[in-house]
Amino acid sequence: MAGITDLGVGIGWRSEIDLTVERLPGVDFVEVVAENLHIGRLPESVTLLLERGVPVLPHAVSLSLGGADEVDLNRVEHLGGIAEAVGAPMVSDHVCFVRAGGLDSGHLMPVPRTKDALDVLVANVELAQRNLPVPLALENVAALLEWPGGELTEGQFLAELVERTDCWLLVDVANLYANARNIGTDPERFLDEIPLERLAYVHVAGGVEHGGVYHDTHAHAVLPEVLGVLDELCSRVKPPGVLLERDDNYPSDTEIATELAAIRAVVDKHRG
Amino acid sequence: MVTPMTSQGTQLTVEQVGYLTAGPGRAAETALARLLDAGLVRVSREGLVSAVHLSNCGAITPLEARTLSRARTGARFDQVVRSTAFSTEMKALHQDLLDRRLLQRPRHRNPAWGFSLTLAIALFLLGFVAAEFFLAVPIALLFALWQRGRRAVTRQGRQALLHVSATDRVHNVAVYGFCGKVNRRPVADEFGLPQSVVKMLPLKKHRKRQSSSDGGGSGCSSCGSGCGTSSCSSGSSCSSGSGCSSGSSCGGGCGGGGGD
Amino acid sequence: MIDDNDSPAARERLAAAQAELLNALLANGPAPAGFDEQRLDVERRALLSKRRGIVRMLGPAVADELGERFRPLFDAYAVAHPRRAGSRAREDAAAFAEWCRAAGELPVKRKARWKFWQSN
Repeated sequence: MAGITDLGVGIGWRSEIDLTVERLPGVDFVEVVAENLHIGRLPESVTLLLERGVPVLPHAVSLSLGGADEVDLNRVEHLGGIAEAVGAPMVSDHVCFVRAGGLDSGHLMPVPRTKDALDVLVANVELAQRNLPVPLALENVAALLEWPGGELTEGQFLAELVERTDCWLLVDVANLYANARNIGTDPERFLDEIPLERLAYVHVAGGVEHGGVYHDTHAHAVLPEVLGVLDELCSRVKPPGVLLERDDNYPSDTEIATELAAIRAVVDKHRG
Repeated sequence: MVTPMTSQGTQLTVEQVGYLTAGPGRAAETALARLLDAGLVRVSREGLVSAVHLSNCGAITPLEARTLSRARTGARFDQVVRSTAFSTEMKALHQDLLDRRLLQRPRHRNPAWGFSLTLAIALFLLGFVAAEFFLAVPIALLFALWQRGRRAVTRQGRQALLHVSATDRVHNVAVYGFCGKVNRRPVADEFGLPQSVVKMLPLKKHRKRQSSSDGGGSGCSSCGSGCGTSSCSSGSSCSSGSGCSSGSSCGGGCGGGGGD
Repeated sequence: MIDDNDSPAARERLAAAQAELLNALLANGPAPAGFDEQRLDVERRALLSKRRGIVRMLGPAVADELGERFRPLFDAYAVAHPRRAGSRAREDAAAFAEWCRAAGELPVKRKARWKFWQSN
């Protein structure tokens, strides 16, 4: 995929920390939440970053591709519009559902790992891809719940998805860790099962343990264990990009820079 | 961060300097400036003030605590200043300055006071013609004095302000405001704030821009009359798509820290 | 246009299953078979907390005014009014404020402003 070979280390652009993102050294690329942007009116900060030549990648949270409803083409169009406005080489969303039965969870809910669900997901993804101007990458989510009657592991599920739709994968290592803690899945097995050559880039995020459960909050420091999963991934494939995601409780600029540096250290460790 | 002691034993905190210089709006700006200086809050390009997540709390004064708590929910620059300016903590600061006789209840100056004074003089002169007029002179004089009004800052307060020297950027805000300049350099630049942000602060119409070349004395309240800004909720816009409508991504986040 | 394997029946089954789950998580519906009940509870609380946080952020004035009552009131409102698909978070915040006013929890009139002095 053109322009995707070496994104480097990046950070999620958020309006609360826009000046921080602009001023941080060592930000190679950024990601924006597509639903938060207007196509005709990009934030000044994003325009500034684009002028500097920093790649801006749109990330969606509302397509609900794993939902039973046919994907909403308005949302797809918006995502495509943002991609064009920022000249992005690709876009992304998640393997999840958000809405069902007329209700909105406001969250990325895991889908059943069954053939049925996969068929519906594939149909939605293909429809979305036909209506997007750039390639689509899909991200694995953190699940507190497991659907009964699962037929495939998460890795197998994604592998089949890639096989049938030719989409890319956005691997969130914090979510892999969360699932290991909460539903006993194995990150290494996941990495074994997915087609690593279809890796678009990686997400890293923080979370917190609470009540015996790990919560992927994006509002806390990145755990060393999560960097450990990143390390495991980097030992198998060179990720085209790694992005730090933070959505709330932003720490000082220094702390953010330190987290980015820690991520970069893991990535650089595996360079030839 | 107190001023040196005056002969009357008055010491001012930087917030009090701000208040005496230009009212509660300026004191609110000063509290915010101190928090910015300490890295406890940050301001975005669009003027959104947010609390920096640190392990320690960090607010030293009640005004700072009020400002910080407002920043935690996130608000625009001018709203944060305004909310602190109207707070109960600010009322307490005002009362404290009143108690220390650095402030007094002001009386608005009636522009006709000059006329009354002229009248008093005229009556005095007329007294040489008819002695009864002399009786009216003290009445007219007192009336003129009443109409002249009095400023909010007392003489003692003004004296205390004389001892203020702008030693750091927080003091610069107290004395000149975020919109002011020190040696032709905008105070906002010292904090890395874009001009578009500080210009959100409403100024009184007749206010002259405070700069260090002026006496730097009493000016106008920076959060002035009729702050008619309509309150807009959180700075981050969240537009099309209902899936995630918080300012930041709700992708993947599991309800902030444990769901309890 | 649709993938061969994607039968309407598959979509329907999926729709029913997902609807049942969301109903349990968002509207106090019965727990669907096969799910860990404890985890359902954790997820329910996490989703509620997330929604509450968003409404607080979008309407800080309301949250401030309600003070400690914000949380219990919001939680009561949330279960009775789960977010509809296609709704926006701002609508949610506005609807909550309206609900509070209708329940008499929020005053309709604004409190008197303290007039502060202005220098001459």
